Amino acid sequence: MSRESLQESLSALMDNETDELELRRVLAACEEPQMRERWQRYQLARAAMHGELREPRLDLAAAVSAALTVEEAPVVKSPRQPLRTLGRFAVAASVTVAVLAGVRLYNQDSLQQQSLAQQSTAPSSFNLPQVQGPALLAAYGQQAASSAPEQGASVSAWHQQRLPEYLRQHAQQVGMGAADGALPYARAASMQGN
Amino acid sequence: MTAGWRAWCLGLGMLCAVPAQAETAEDWLQRMHDASQLDYQGVFIYERNGSFSSHQLWHAATMHGERRERLLQLDGPAHEVLRVNGRTRCLSSDLQGPLAEGQVWPARELDVGQLANWYVLRLLGSSRVAGRDAVVLGLLPRDPHRHAFELHLDRQTALPLKSVLLNEQGQMLERFQFTSLQLQAPTSTDLQPGADCRTLDTDVSALSAAQTNDWQVGWLPPGFSAQGVIRRPVPGDGVPPLQCLLFADGLARFSVFVEHLGGLSVEEAHSQLGPTVAVSRRLSARSGEVMVTVVGEIPLGTAERIALSVREAQEQASD
Repeated sequence: MSRESLQESLSALMDNETDELELRRVLAACEEPQMRERWQRYQLARAAMHGELREPRLDLAAAVSAALTVEEAPVVKSPRQPLRTLGRFAVAASVTVAVLAGVRLYNQDSLQQQSLAQQSTAPSSFNLPQVQGPALLAAYGQQAASSAPEQGASVSAWHQQRLPEYLRQHAQQVGMGAADGALPYARAASMQGN
Repeated sequence: MTAGWRAWCLGLGMLCAVPAQAETAEDWLQRMHDASQLDYQGVFIYERNGSFSSHQLWHAATMHGERRERLLQLDGPAHEVLRVNGRTRCLSSDLQGPLAEGQVWPARELDVGQLANWYVLRLLGSSRVAGRDAVVLGLLPRDPHRHAFELHLDRQTALPLKSVLLNEQGQMLERFQFTSLQLQAPTSTDLQPGADCRTLDTDVSALSAAQTNDWQVGWLPPGFSAQGVIRRPVPGDGVPPLQCLLFADGLARFSVFVEHLGGLSVEEAHSQLGPTVAVSRRLSARSGEVMVTVVGEIPLGTAERIALSVREAQEQASD
């Protein structure tokens, strides 16, 4: 397999668009340090793009490889079997999930969020009228993945210049009660130095 | 013997009754509001999606006849602010911008009765925060136009030890939480700001709390009312000033900024930073195109609806 096509497969994998055969080829090629480095770079770039980056140097290739060998080889005799397609997607999806989980593991904030999700003492009795979910904080783990890319999705130069000012101005307005100063101040401070 | 027994029973009954009695969620909120009369100091953390920081806080109810509060970020940049009687006295330079002038309006009194119109106030139980026993209060929105709050108030003083903001899916948007708290008056050295904390020019003339308003918000979520208007001159000849309108429901707040684009073609945008959303919409006005930006701790859909409803005020109406 040529280097170019391998790299192509690699980026396809990043986009969750590989079939199983391709995935196996990529995993085999991952024995090469160069290939592995490239994969890590892609991950890094994606994490940075989504603003969820800390230290995503987790290598899951070995683990996924092992998982695949345990799995049965796909059934070949009836190629139009819908289950087969399903299985292929499942593999790709599980890789993505594993990779995301890996990135998360190294993300300090998400780590906090995960531990928060587990720490459901009082909030478990705290249900919003319109929410069906069990504990309020339990759904929090999903938040990191879903809302990070949304942030600044299509922010032009004008917005990049104005928004921080607006946010700061807004954050520095009056708060409530005894926590009046602290919360708006902490919000304003968190807008800086990121 | 019978009398003694009866007295003992009565005593026990009273003991049990005291904590369970009268202390409704409303009472606790009122007590929290009054807790600004206390001296305390401590360390708290602030967390939102993409940000985690720790801060030290010193609060003196009366020092030289004034209420003073100093906040200092402990990790990363040393962001700092000193507030006197609720007004910002000095700010570290990195928190300052062309707009940063601290608060123009004094802190509004917390109106618990009003709040109950927009939130269901509920006692959720007890917890322990910063080594102290706390009561957990839930403020659940009665409509989809605001987020839910979970407050952990110190059982002894009603100081908010922890405050969590949750969206309609129950996802945590931000967390404010003390890790240690002492009920001790800070010394005057503690309240002495660092060298980088720059005193704010109280030049309110350039930044007037305007009486009249060139812009009207056509739709407001129920319970939100106007808190004030600021105008700030924008550099350039004949450029109309930037206007900022502030609205609050007693707990949640949003600001509406209206700025002239000066012929620039700028896209509309929306973004979310932890609990805060920002929605920008273009609007054609008599004096040219403007950008309306709604910034606040409110749901995105609500912010969009507000942004879409902003109109130019009629030729200087009587208000």
